[in-house]
Amino acid sequence: MSAPIVQLSNVTKRIGKRTIIDQLSLDLHAGEVYGFLGPNGSGKTTTIRMMVGLMKLSGGEITIKGNSIQTSYEKAIRQVGAIVENPEMYKYMSGYKNLIHFARMVPGITRQRIDEVVKLVGLQARIHDKVKTYSLGMRQRLGVAQAILHKPSLLILDEPTNGLDPAGIRELRDYLRKLAKDEGITVFVSSHLLSEMELMCDRVAIIQNGKLIDERVISQEGPALDAVSRHRFEVDRPADALALLKQHSGAIVQDGIELDIDRETAAWVNAQLVSAGIKVYGFRVHTKSLEDQFIEVTGGETVG
Amino acid sequence: MGNFIDLLRNENMKIYSRPRTWIMLGIMLVIMLASDIIAVSVGADTKSMWEAFMLQSILGFNAVVIYSVVIAADSVAGEFSAGTIKLLMIRPWSRSKILLSKYIAIIGFALFFFAALFVWNYLLDGIFFGFSSGTVQEMIGEDSTKNIWNYMLSVYGLQLLATTMMTITLSFLLSTVFRSGGLSIGLSLLLMFMSGTLSGVLSMLDKPWVDYFWFMNENLTQYLLPGDYDHTLGFSLGVLAVYYLVFIAVTWTVFNKRDIAS
Ligand SMILES: Nc1ncnc2c1ncn2[C@@H]1O[C@H](COP(=O)(O)OP(=O)(O)OP(=O)(O)O)[C@@H](O)[C@H]1O
Ligand SMILES: [Mg+2]
Repeated sequence: MSAPIVQLSNVTKRIGKRTIIDQLSLDLHAGEVYGFLGPNGSGKTTTIRMMVGLMKLSGGEITIKGNSIQTSYEKAIRQVGAIVENPEMYKYMSGYKNLIHFARMVPGITRQRIDEVVKLVGLQARIHDKVKTYSLGMRQRLGVAQAILHKPSLLILDEPTNGLDPAGIRELRDYLRKLAKDEGITVFVSSHLLSEMELMCDRVAIIQNGKLIDERVISQEGPALDAVSRHRFEVDRPADALALLKQHSGAIVQDGIELDIDRETAAWVNAQLVSAGIKVYGFRVHTKSLEDQFIEVTGGETVG
Repeated sequence: MGNFIDLLRNENMKIYSRPRTWIMLGIMLVIMLASDIIAVSVGADTKSMWEAFMLQSILGFNAVVIYSVVIAADSVAGEFSAGTIKLLMIRPWSRSKILLSKYIAIIGFALFFFAALFVWNYLLDGIFFGFSSGTVQEMIGEDSTKNIWNYMLSVYGLQLLATTMMTITLSFLLSTVFRSGGLSIGLSLLLMFMSGTLSGVLSMLDKPWVDYFWFMNENLTQYLLPGDYDHTLGFSLGVLAVYYLVFIAVTWTVFNKRDIAS
């Protein structure tokens, strides 16, 4: 894989005596959508604040395209577009004036670029209205607009789907994937909406109490045909079914049995059960969602 | 990297696109007009437009300081309370420069209001009491051979330097340190209006360090006329400059160092 464009190495944040982020190390690559998961209070926003220079690090280093956020802030931040927590804008100005405001702060953003971005986030109809008249979802869209205005190489979004309607979530998801794929932008999204992450991320990191506890690759294609996965068969006599299939290790669950087998075997098992006179009400692949895995690794703890 | 003028344009856009700025200006101009109407209708024996001009200017100075303090107090604290500070700071600009653009915009605001006050009063008083070239004597009732324009601009300039700049800078400091607009407005105006009383109390103490208090050196316009004063203009300006530099240093240091966690 290419050299990482964003590197967090041993990032630590202490406030008072509390260690809020503890020796966190992450590498993000160009063009990937990276999910940052964690329960409430686990330190997602704090990490993001450090990545954009709002908070100083107590230890460790963050570099963006080789520029340290601590020592060459202006160069590093030029590459970054972000929403930190809620997309708060100047409410007494129109959405358009807000965009002009942020556009002026980075050289080379034309009016055409502003119009392009407004169209992209679907705010054309309301962009000249005052932001105080916007709904939460519209503000979120305006937040995304200001973040991508200067074509950053790293887009950081703290819970961006918060407040969006299903269509808006889907649009955002497709758009983020497109940005990553077509323009090679690295997208860093935090969320507790785990099912969301599963649909849009290439990799996810899970943090709890400021520590990285897991990092995994998410496959965007379905499982390969010959992959072994857990199948659940709903049957009327689970014990008999399991005895019949003793060459496969399985387990009795509520309403049936579960077996780790591939697709072909599943069809064969079904035929076996039916010919043995066991009623099969249905069978399906039982994948563990990220949600289950998340609860598993974080132990279902809520506030850290 | 970028152009600093663009930061200033942003800060001005934020100040002047709010109705409150224009309401404050409107109120100030209406008060000036009303005071002329009252003076004429009660038949006050105003001898020349310049007498009215001086009285109104002093009234207007207070309005400008109050308004500037409101703008200064909101400048940093307002970005914190609205949460916009997070989006403002994550741009390729140092914190110092962003803060400087805010400070300059506030001074620009005060200058704009001073200019409006000056022109408005000149026109109003000319219309109500007849335009005249005038003398310092007409203006303040004391013998003086000074050129009237010279005197008047000096009064405006010293007022701007001493009371207005010092109070704005203090308010800006409080806004940055406490991130609370209300506290900043309250404290700075309290100090401004108490300064007369405080300096009266302090001057009763016969201690050498009393001379180095801010309030003891705030009335700079007195030095424009010959007289027997405790200090010289140079001394007073020097004392104010020291306070000013300390205010600026504290404001910038705090703003640069602090984590933004609103
Ligand atoms: N300014 C601060 N002072 C002290 N503690 C803080 C401060 N900001 C955050 N914390 C603490 O740091 C921890 C992490 O907070 P953070 O906001 O980063 O969590 P989060 O993962 O973003 O949570 P959420 O999912 O609720 O947004 C929390 O325990 C919080 O109480
Ligand atoms: Mg958070």
